[in-house]
This record gives sequence, structure tokens and C-alpha cells, in this order.
Amino acid sequence: MPEQPYEPEGAIAGTGMGGAMDLGASEAVTLEKTPGGPDGTGPAEKPRSLWSDAWRDLRRNPVFILSALVILFLVFISLWPGAITSGSPLTCDLAKAQQGSGPGAPFGYNGQGCNVYTRTVYGARTSVTVGVLATLGVAVLGSVLGGLAGFFGRSWDSLLSRTTDIFFAIPVVLGGLVLLSVVTSNTVWPVIGFMVLLGWPQISRIARGSVITAKQNDYVQAARALGASNSRLLLRHIAPNAVAPVIVVATIALGTYIALEATLSYLGVGLKPPSVSWGIDISAASPYIRNAPHALLWPSGALAITVLAFIMLGDAVRDALDPKLR
Amino acid sequence: MLLEVRDLHVEFRTRDGIAKAVNGVSYAVDAGETLAVLGESGSGKSVTAQAVMGILDMPPGRITGGEILFKGRDLLKLKEDQRRSVRGAEMAMIFQDALSSLNPVLSVGDQLGEMFVVHRGMSRKDARAKAVELMDRVRIPAARERVRQYPHQFSGGMRQRIMIAMALALEPALIIADEPTTALDVTVQAQVMDLLAELQREYRMGLILITHDLGVVADVADRIAVMYAGRIVESAPVHDIYKAPAHPYTRGLLDSIPRLDQKGQELYAIKGLPPNLLHIPPGCPFHPRCPMAQDVCRTDVPPLYEVSATRGSACHFWRECLHA
Amino acid sequence: MGRYVVRRLLQMIPVFIGATLLIFLMVNVMGDPIAGLCGERQCDPATAAQLKKEFGLDKPVWQQYLTYMGNVFTGDFGTAFNGQKVTELMATAFPVTIRLTLVAILFEIVIGITLGVVTGLRRGSPEDTGVLLLTLVVISVPTFVTGLLLQLLLGVKWGWIKPSVSPEATFGELILPGLVLASVSLAYVTRLTRTSIAENKRSDYVRTAVAKGLPRHRVVTRHLLRNSLIPVVTFIGTDVGALMGGAIVTERIFNIHGVGYQLYQGILRQNTQTVVGFVTVLVLVFLLANLIVDLLYAVLDPRIRYA
Repeated sequence: MPEQPYEPEGAIAGTGMGGAMDLGASEAVTLEKTPGGPDGTGPAEKPRSLWSDAWRDLRRNPVFILSALVILFLVFISLWPGAITSGSPLTCDLAKAQQGSGPGAPFGYNGQGCNVYTRTVYGARTSVTVGVLATLGVAVLGSVLGGLAGFFGRSWDSLLSRTTDIFFAIPVVLGGLVLLSVVTSNTVWPVIGFMVLLGWPQISRIARGSVITAKQNDYVQAARALGASNSRLLLRHIAPNAVAPVIVVATIALGTYIALEATLSYLGVGLKPPSVSWGIDISAASPYIRNAPHALLWPSGALAITVLAFIMLGDAVRDALDPKLR
Repeated sequence: MLLEVRDLHVEFRTRDGIAKAVNGVSYAVDAGETLAVLGESGSGKSVTAQAVMGILDMPPGRITGGEILFKGRDLLKLKEDQRRSVRGAEMAMIFQDALSSLNPVLSVGDQLGEMFVVHRGMSRKDARAKAVELMDRVRIPAARERVRQYPHQFSGGMRQRIMIAMALALEPALIIADEPTTALDVTVQAQVMDLLAELQREYRMGLILITHDLGVVADVADRIAVMYAGRIVESAPVHDIYKAPAHPYTRGLLDSIPRLDQKGQELYAIKGLPPNLLHIPPGCPFHPRCPMAQDVCRTDVPPLYEVSATRGSACHFWRECLHA
Repeated sequence: MGRYVVRRLLQMIPVFIGATLLIFLMVNVMGDPIAGLCGERQCDPATAAQLKKEFGLDKPVWQQYLTYMGNVFTGDFGTAFNGQKVTELMATAFPVTIRLTLVAILFEIVIGITLGVVTGLRRGSPEDTGVLLLTLVVISVPTFVTGLLLQLLLGVKWGWIKPSVSPEATFGELILPGLVLASVSLAYVTRLTRTSIAENKRSDYVRTAVAKGLPRHRVVTRHLLRNSLIPVVTFIGTDVGALMGGAIVTERIFNIHGVGYQLYQGILRQNTQTVVGFVTVLVLVFLLANLIVDLLYAVLDPRIRYA
């Protein structure tokens, strides 16, 4: 993801021209937007950027704190699942099948006699890996394609628009079924690859829109008039301003990718046993729904909380980044 | 008296505290009379009008005191459905921006006719005929054809005429016009204002004209009430004010009108900003901006001194101001 | 208007071709189209070659695609794995899924819009916060989890409904599956309506309507709702296509023999003809639904004019 340091107009002027080498453009900005107190009493307070404002808002938002804590915990157990479990998720004892909670198995055992607690903890790794990598892939591919189309316009733009139209016409789960049903490799990569393939149009539309908006800003026009090159315009002036909406949509998308992985695994085309995934476990538990509902409920709950955490995080970030909503 | 507002207080709850928008406003309008309410934005002129109409957003708004007597009844004591039957039928309001104030997805005929359907129980067909009649009345050409059109298909001036027609529909006794010409082109402003004044005379309606434009006021108003920080600071017949203002704020407003005979001179501007309604200055709220302010102004709130039988000024030094 | 429709129809052609070609390539190139034809066993090479020739699979893919599309336009969608005509499968599957989609849309309209209006009018109230939180939860919980949980509770634990749907799939049986299918969209409709209502509530024309002395219900239904529902109608309209294509999960949970079921079977058995045929129809439905939404937009909002 393009993690450019963000420098909105105020910040450039206030910190004595953040990009000292980039005289032309920054100067135009400085002249336009010198921050001053009311009735010209001079700079009243330290200039604030969109990001620092957003961060201040987020730190006080309980929804953000809660979802961030959940996500940190998830990342922790994906990296070190052994820290809170003992035993392997693959050791199953058919004799214990469908049993309720017991020592070392607070969530009980599933239809195959596997420890539901261990499997639920280990399942986080799959979800987080798929979610993060798919989002990164989608964000990079989507922003590059959308950004370039938005920037260069004309035939590139219409080509991209038509292409995204085509992808939008194919239902996602259906596409996943068709593509992944023929895959034999039992790793996360085909699933991630599929999500990037079908997910990029969503981000590219967002990126395209925000690049077009950013392109029309006066300071970009000024930089262009002063002869800045295309790559300089894109990377230094447009990308930092277009990245916020992409981050917001990508965060929310991360949650939906985790849900999608579970759905595909539930349908039997995502990951397959012996991989450990909440979707697989939910699917495996559904025939025993009558006698061992706990085997269904725990992975379902974990999945729901994970997706909820990412979506709420995205929601909170959007509220913080969109001053209009305040 | 047709309408008498007595000691009205309105406040708004905001995230940063309570904003005192209206602080003891009193004014009166008689049938056939035009009262111009003058003031900067945030002076409480529109909030007072909305309280009279009963369209204040509550919450966050709250009427904390006062009376609004309309034809002798206190509107604030009426039940909501009684209040509603007064709105539109006995008093009507014309808003500043006709494009946003008219419903974009309903034809103007529907919006005009609605008044008759709701208040008079007319059939849609009869209401449509009435709508055409009204559009003729405010001199919109080809009314019969245009009655089916939508607000965005009219020009700014024509849209404001539709707003006027809507206000006039049930021949109310009182019309409140909130900056009715501000959003219009200068050339159209005069036409719309003349139309409004003419119809007011014809129906002998009371008119409250809210504006920040002194130029408009001179031609049409009988009385002027100048508002500042939610208070009336001066109230007088229009000619008295133009002759000699009895409040430094009124004087400031008059001095900031560009005049042809003073070409080349720097334009006068009242220094400073309107007060923050969350923290209205103690004493006379105008004192931080007043060129005549003395110590007493910083501590004592001036009452509305009686300058003459028809005139009042909320300035400790109205005499000095009058003769300056 | 007529010219606009024609232009839009023309614009749909490349999207239609692109989407169907994409699916065609996925199925034919990635998969092994004859794998499903020899039952559970691998086909022996001679039979395979024979079958490939018979189905025209030895020709280049683009030629296969053209032949296939040519057949489709004469109403021939090919035959499924069990020798049944794909069109016959469609004739039994589509009515079921259409009923399911109708139930789902009804839920979106009735529950979604009602909740959205109520919360939008009382923004910041406890009901509002509660509903908002609930919508977030519904959006977050994947449909298959919602479905399984509701099936567990209503079907197994409380016995209010039969856990699976009979082949007739009557409207009564489809109430719960319809709710499950609608759930995520329902939450979106609620949120969209709420935002739209809350935004329009502060608009000048609503203030005008109040100042005209209209009764509150008239202000809400005639002035506020009419404007606020424009984006909601757009969303629901485009959702029709998505719901029909997304019914795979719901139909699997409740064992409904609709489009999703046939597609799922077709994919598992690698039956090219079924999959491509059904997807082609779904893409067409999606595109037409979008077109209708666009045209509806002009009816709802007179400011939109199509040239």
C-alpha cells in the first residue's frame, strides 16, 4: 500500500515547507492556505493534518479501541497459537466425538473428536493470513490500476470502467466456486489469488474516483502548470490525498475477505482438510447440529467477532477521516 | 395587534454548551404593516421567526420563556394540532433559497395545491385549478402549462414567485419573509420585492421582512427592528432610523452601505466579529465592537430605553448617538 | 428516453460478452470439461478424445465460445450431466430462486426501510443505537453462519419450521431462507435509509412542508420519504441480480433446489453446460436489473434527464 507521509496544505505551510526541494508546488500551496487565526491575528495554533485529527478522534473512540484490541489479540494468536493452547489441532480422538467441554477442551469436541478450542484458536491464523494478504494484493493492484486510469483518463479510463463492469456482473461466491473447484493445491494461495482477481475492481473504482478529485485540486493544477512531471504529480501530490478512501474501503474489505474465505471453505472449495479454517469446522459441524451445537457455535462466534472487529475498525476510521460526518 | 412577541427566549443545546440565540425579544406587527427585522447572521432574527412559525427544531432548540400572541392567542400554549392549523393557513413563511425550499420531486402544482388539499379538504383537481390561479396571481407566464413542471425547471426569480404564491395560497393574515431576495440576481430582486409589497397591500397582511440588506428595507418597511446577539437593540419607524440612528450598531450598519456620493472613500466596516452565542459578553453585548463604549457598557445590560413613543434603543448613550 | 435505452442496451453487450467469456474460460480452461462425463472414474484416453471431438472441445476456445453463444441465442443451452436439457433444469430451478429472491426483497423493503425510517427520524436515540449495532453484527456475520444458527434455533431447537425445504419450495417454506438470504442487504438497506432520512430531515423543503402546516405523517410520507428512498430503491434494484447469484449458500443450507443448487452441483460435477448456461442467465438478469434501476431513477427523480 502506498504509505506516503501525508502532507496536507496546512502542514506544508506550517512546518516551513515540508518538501523544501519541491519549491514550485509547495509555494503555490503556501500562498493559498497560510493558516491564520480569525481576523488575521496570525497563526493561532499548530497546524493539524487530516491524519493527526483522525488519530485524535480515534483514540477517544471506544469502538475503535475495542476493535483494535480484538484485532491485536487475533494477530497475536495467529503468530503464536501455542501460547494459549496445548496440543495440535490435528490430534483428534473419535472416542471423544461430540463430547461437551472437558479438561483441556473448554469448548468441547467436534464430530470427529477434535478439540474445538484448539481448532478455533488455530483457525485464526488462516483467517488473518487470507484477510491481510488478499487485502494487500487487492489494495495494491486496485490502487495502481484505478489510480493510473483516473490520472491518465481517456481510453485507459473507459477500458478500466468496462473491465470493472464485467467483474461486477459476476457474483463473487459463484466466481469462487467456478475458479477454485478445479484447484487441487490445499494452501491459502489460490484463495488469496482468487480474491485479488475478483476484488481489485472495487478498490480501483474508489482509487480512480479519489484520484480524479485530487487531480482537480488547485495545488495539483498549480504544480502541473509549473512543469512537474507526471510521476512526481502522482506520487507526491495526488497519491497522499487519494489514499484515505482506499484505506477505509480496504479495512472494511479485509473483514469481508475473511468472511468470504470461510464461506468458500464452507462450500468445500476454499481450504480443505487437513487445513484448519473456521469455515471448514463450521461446515463439518453442521451435520451434527442437533447433538453437538457447540462445535458449530464456537468457530461461528470467532468468525463473527473477527469480521465484526475489522468492519467496525473500518467504520471508525471512515468516520474519523471524513470530516463531513462529524 | 396582529402579532405580538413578548420577551421571547430561545436557546440551543450544542456539544460545546448552551447557545443563547434569542434573549428577550419583543416586537409587534399590525395588519397591513411591514416590520423589517435587521441583523447579521447569528443575531437571532431567523430563530425568532421560526419560533413564531413553530418550525424551530426542538431539540436542539428550546423556547425558555416569553409569549407569542397571534390574534390575541398565545401560540406557545396551543396544542401541536391547533398550532398546525394556524401554520400555512393564518401565517405563512417565505424562505431564502427557493430551489432548496421546494421539494425537488413534486411538481409545483402539487406543492401549491397541497395547501388546499390539506387545509381546505379540496379535491386534487380543484386544488390544481387553484394552483394555476395562484401562479397567475404572482404573474408566472403560461401558468396552465407550467403547473406540471418541477422546481428545477424554473428560473430563480420564478421559483421565488412560487414560494410567494404558496405563502399567499390561503390568504394568511401574516407573512414572514426570511431574506426573500438574497439568493436572487440583483435585477430580479426588485421585481420580487415589489410583487411581495404589492400583494401585501392588496390583502392587508402583516409582513415581517427579515433581512440584512438595509437597501431593501427603506422602500417597503414601516418599522425596523435591529437585532444583535439575540436582542432588539433598536426599534423605530423606518424614517426615524434613516434620519438619525439611536444605537451605535445601527449607525455602523448604515455607514457600511456603499454610497454613490462618497465614491473613492474607504468603505466603513464594523470592526470585530459577531459575538459567540455560547459566551455572550457581559453588559451590553455590542461593547467590544462599539466605538462609544464606556465602563458602564461592560457591566450593565442596557434596557430598551424609550426614545420616543414609537421608538426604543438599547444603548446607555442613545442620546449621544442620536445627536452625533 | 428511447435513445438512452438503446445506448444502454448497446453498452451492455461488451459487458455481457466479457462476463460470459470470463466464466466460459474459467470453466473450460481451468477445469476439465469432460471429466464429469465418465461418471466417477477417469475417462480413458480414447473415450476422452472421442468425447472431445463430439462436443467440439478440440477446437480453439474462442470458436467453442462462439458456437456456444450461437446455440444459446437459438434457445439451446446444451445438456446437463444426467442427459437432461439445461433449459429443463432452468425451468424447475429458476421459479424456486425467483420466489426466494422475492421473499428476500420483500424483507428488505418491509423491515429494512421501516427500521431505517424509524431510526433515521430518531437519530441518537437508544433504539437508533441498538438497531445500528445490530446491523453491524448482521453485516459481519457471514450468511452461512446466520443461516445455520437460525436453522439451529428455529428449526431444531424450537421446532417452528422444518429445517429443510421441500422440492415444491412454497412461499411459506421460503420465509426463513428468504430472511437469511436478505440479511446482509437488509442491514445495508436499514443503514442507507437511516442516513438518507436523517440527511433529508434537515433539508429546506422538509422545513417548508412543516411551515405549510402539513400533518406530520404527510410531511414524512409525501415529502421526506419520497426523496430519501431514491438511493434505497437503486440499491434494492441492483441487489436483485446479486441475490439470485448469491443464493448458493442459502440454498445449500436449507436444501432448496433452485439456481444455486443446480450451479453447485454443476460445478462439483464439472458440468460445463449447466454452469455456463446458468451464469449466462444470471449475468443477463444482473444487467437488466441495473438498466431498470437506471430508468426507475428518472421516474423517481425528475431532475435526472436522459439524453
